[in-house]
Amino acid sequence: MLLMKGISKTYPSGSVALRSVDIHIKPGEFVFVVGPSGAGKSTFIKMLFREVIPTTGKLFVDGVDVMSLKPEEIPFLRRQLGIIFQDYRLLNDRTVYDNIAFAMQVIETPYRQIKRRVAAVLDLVGLRSRACDYPGELSGGEQQRVAIARAIVNDPLLVIADEPTGNLDPETSMDIMKIFSQINDSGTTIVMATHDKTIVDIMEKRVIAIEDGYIVRDDAKGVYGYEPEH
Amino acid sequence: MSLSTKEYFVKETFKSIRRNQLMSFASVSTVALSLLVLGLFLLMVMNANNLAKYLESQVQISVYMEDSASNETLSAAAKSLKTMPGVVKVTSVTKTEALAKFKKRLGDQNRLLDALGEENPFPYSFDVQVDKPERIAEIVPKIDEMKGVETAKFGQEVVEHMFKLTRLLRLGGILLVVLLAMATLFIISNTIRITVFARRREVSIMKYVGATNWFIRWPFLLEGMVLGFAGALVASFVLVQIYLALQDKIYATLAFFPLIPAWPFLGYLCLCLIITGTAIGAAGSSIPLRKFLDV
Repeated sequence: MLLMKGISKTYPSGSVALRSVDIHIKPGEFVFVVGPSGAGKSTFIKMLFREVIPTTGKLFVDGVDVMSLKPEEIPFLRRQLGIIFQDYRLLNDRTVYDNIAFAMQVIETPYRQIKRRVAAVLDLVGLRSRACDYPGELSGGEQQRVAIARAIVNDPLLVIADEPTGNLDPETSMDIMKIFSQINDSGTTIVMATHDKTIVDIMEKRVIAIEDGYIVRDDAKGVYGYEPEH
Repeated sequence: MSLSTKEYFVKETFKSIRRNQLMSFASVSTVALSLLVLGLFLLMVMNANNLAKYLESQVQISVYMEDSASNETLSAAAKSLKTMPGVVKVTSVTKTEALAKFKKRLGDQNRLLDALGEENPFPYSFDVQVDKPERIAEIVPKIDEMKGVETAKFGQEVVEHMFKLTRLLRLGGILLVVLLAMATLFIISNTIRITVFARRREVSIMKYVGATNWFIRWPFLLEGMVLGFAGALVASFVLVQIYLALQDKIYATLAFFPLIPAWPFLGYLCLCLIITGTAIGAAGSSIPLRKFLDV
């Protein structure tokens, strides 16, 4: 599903975010990416949907050579992915329904199909009754669930989440993780960068630890391994 | 592009205009105001041009004949004047007609002429109209040489001044219109840039979901066109009202003033404004968008 070979990233300012990273993630895996702030987690995640382009190395996502994509081909890569951010990134002037439907309108799905599919993902994240509400009327946890619904509405092969529970309380975080587990159970690969020790330790999934741009740990059933940051 | 996508674009356009009501209103007002000013200047310049043309066409040569000229000489002169290249019209003015005209011009003071008694000092003359005022200089010497002609006059200084004035009017008018058009484009694209800037977050989210640049661009483009069109419509409406009111006023007080007739002139002008407004709206919304599409 995901293959990185000798990936390095040096920013124009000279700071090095990743150094010769080799990673292979198989379809259906659930992978946590952990590490201290500024270790390179964000760069790692952003490379997967080509917001950041590696300086050297090879990167394949679902067989697609991400580095050789032309600018006009990037949207088609992103349609294969579900991307979730810490700050939800919802369109505040659209309803919950419209936010989720938007991801399907982008790929020109017929209306009737959109209606059916959006209802299904709203059920999955438990927000069917909030379909007509605006993001501003929802709690943080609910907003993140909308973002997850939007990310999975097109049945992506890979869900990429950058600190999805970063703004949420522990209880809400666990609810969100349950949804991720469900998505993963249906066969979708998940790569999640996180700072949340409790979650990583409870979930017992593969953990990749990045420090100073290097992969320092890659355990099949790992633990967070750092003291929680406050 | 599928039908539901087109439907989506149209819906999105009007939804967005409603959502950003204040900004939409600002854009429409800016377009309307700028195009109105542009339209008013165009009206002025074109009318000034029309006036200049009219005045130029009014230039005529007065050919005064010698008192001793016989009827044959007069008719021969009239004939050769008519056959001269560039001459459009020749009107003869008899001595009696000239006196009557002068009396009329004196108005209340025509008693001054009583001193003349029975004598009529006015010569027989021809009013000669030419097709192009530039021709006057070459025609006048030829007339002067004709038999029986005492002198040919055309108010040289006045004509030359007028030529200078009309040339200045045209040049200044064109310059003003070009400057104004540029200012209009600048103001409108700036207004729309603010609108797009306010929505850059929306654009970046669309990119993360996998929207192509054109998918993002279309609603913005349509929105710009709708706003530009609406602004131009408002400007056209106001412009027509102003011109019609002005026309009434001018005809009531300066009946001879050669104003361009309202129709179809205003129709063409409005069409121009509407096309300009729509095009400016489209350009103004898609140019500033480019910067935010690069995510």
